[in-house]
Amino acid sequence: MTHNRKIASKLTFGSICFISLLFFGGNLYAQNATNGEALFKANCTSCHSMETQLTGPALKGAYDRWKKDNKMLHSWIKNNQKVLASGNVYAVSLQHQFSSAGGMTVFDGILSEAQIDDIIAYLAIYKGPPPAVPGLTPNGEPEGDNTLLYGILTLVLAVVAFVLLQVNANLKKLADDKDGMHTEEPVSFWRNKAYIAFILVVVFLVGGYMTVEGAIGLGREEKFQPKQPIFYSHKVHAGVNQINCMYCHVGTYQGKQATIPSVNICMNCHMAIKEYKGTAKLYTAEGEEINGTAEIQKLYKYANYTPGQPWDAKTAQPIEWTRIHNLPDHVYFNHSQHVVAGKVQCQTCHGEITKMDEVYQFAPLSMGWCINCHRTTKVNFKDNGFYSIYERYQKDMDNHKMDSVTVENIGGTDCQKCHY
Amino acid sequence: MKKLLVFTFLSAGVALVSCNDVRREQGRIYMPDMAYSRAFETYAERDSAKFTTDAGDISDKIFYNNQPVEGTIARGEEMPFPVAKDKVGDTANYAASKLVPNPITMLNTTDSTEAARLYLVNCGICHGPDMDGNGPLWKDGNGPFPSKPKDLLGDPIVSVMPEGQIFYSVTYGKNLMGSYASQLSRHQRWMVVHYIKTMQLAKKASAATPAKSDSTAAKGGAVKK
Repeated sequence: MTHNRKIASKLTFGSICFISLLFFGGNLYAQNATNGEALFKANCTSCHSMETQLTGPALKGAYDRWKKDNKMLHSWIKNNQKVLASGNVYAVSLQHQFSSAGGMTVFDGILSEAQIDDIIAYLAIYKGPPPAVPGLTPNGEPEGDNTLLYGILTLVLAVVAFVLLQVNANLKKLADDKDGMHTEEPVSFWRNKAYIAFILVVVFLVGGYMTVEGAIGLGREEKFQPKQPIFYSHKVHAGVNQINCMYCHVGTYQGKQATIPSVNICMNCHMAIKEYKGTAKLYTAEGEEINGTAEIQKLYKYANYTPGQPWDAKTAQPIEWTRIHNLPDHVYFNHSQHVVAGKVQCQTCHGEITKMDEVYQFAPLSMGWCINCHRTTKVNFKDNGFYSIYERYQKDMDNHKMDSVTVENIGGTDCQKCHY
Repeated sequence: MKKLLVFTFLSAGVALVSCNDVRREQGRIYMPDMAYSRAFETYAERDSAKFTTDAGDISDKIFYNNQPVEGTIARGEEMPFPVAKDKVGDTANYAASKLVPNPITMLNTTDSTEAARLYLVNCGICHGPDMDGNGPLWKDGNGPFPSKPKDLLGDPIVSVMPEGQIFYSVTYGKNLMGSYASQLSRHQRWMVVHYIKTMQLAKKASAATPAKSDSTAAKGGAVKK
């Protein structure tokens, strides 16, 4: 029932909005304008927006700029070349201002006369965008880490245990004195041999563990998360907006390097997307909030781009991103080999990139980690002509002696596969 | 007891500091001469005392600018596009590009799957996986992109655009669309153009029969008005 009620209330709200729009428009154009809005969205939005200047001018107030001259505006939309030839002053000034666009599309034959009038009706009554409905803000509370709590608790307990041990020793001495037994003064704890031995063993164990861990970790950069020159959020681009990884990392399919996009690839979209309007807020790893629009401005500085002006890609400066995933020089790794032949997903090695605002190194990239994967990963053996030379495995597979071939079987753990 | 307190506070302090686990520093390595390449690596900085990016530089520096040598063509690559980019405000070359034929006239199954993949990766984000101009960046006007990408199948101009002109737009960019020359090789671009044209023709062929009833319905509607 509540569900129905919700729908009903939505319907009433919608119709109230619609009716108020009709009355607000307050003229005969209303119906035509609704048609016009649909036509506008279908035919004009590739180059025009109401509010912002894109390839062509922003059309809010265009009706007034054309001095409410329906006839002239009609012939301009129908065939702008004719109006220009007639020498209309405003038309010629528009042509000069937007010369880089190379002229407006001639809509003669694409839109009917009635359709053009509908669009003009829409232009005439347009006042501004509908007020935004405040959405629910997503709960961005980060999950608490309990390690600190446990640490403090352990420390407190250790101190309590230590104090209790001291108290116990003192009480024992008191009791012994009362019984008339002569005992020696208790040794203060920093001279007590038992304590010293215990602490030495603990220091040896903890210190030894940390030394070994540190030595193994030397040269490994798991969780490395450097600050980048521009706060580029993979979460927004690859997650929310579903841009394919290979759109920017072009080399993934072609060679060793996945390649880092050049500025012109950023500008493919950011010529038009000038501010960040997404609902997801951006945070650094430390929890600081980031202004997305300011980061886009940083890109424009590198690109040497002034919004509204034609952009020359040759004047752009490269952005010096900090490389996160580093392999030593004595290890060979090839992206295309893994992605094209092996069909490994990006996320297998790079983690859930689509959820990272700031990228960190997800995998340890240690030799053990590589080898483990090569031992357990099954090769797509049957459907890949590349493996037809492994005749014995092919026979064994056919005779059901083997059910799968791993990367190790085809030499994936040989030293010289990666070290040469 | 005082010593005890100092010890407690010190360890608590150490625990607090070590709790922040955002790793901003790269860390150290052993044997740097084995870890860092002596040969030139992708994206590595070049010593400006030894290298120059200016071909006209006549000092004894080594000239290198990451570009293929002028006039060379990679293996398997198509011949260069004969039409240059228009100067700002000019459309002569854009119009001339209509006449350039697609060097790829047929795609086998593997290549056509590859072309479809390239379309989805590079074009689908705006023009939509179904070529209807409604990709994830537009999303019926709810995406971040401010202008509607062209409906490649339904738009009266683009759906009949010659392949050479589509190639021009993909190579040099058009209006709000950027150049894809750095993302796709010439061969790949022609493959994608061929794929788009095939889809456009298929759409026309499938629409040819029901289109008659559609157009009559539209005429009927117009008469009623």
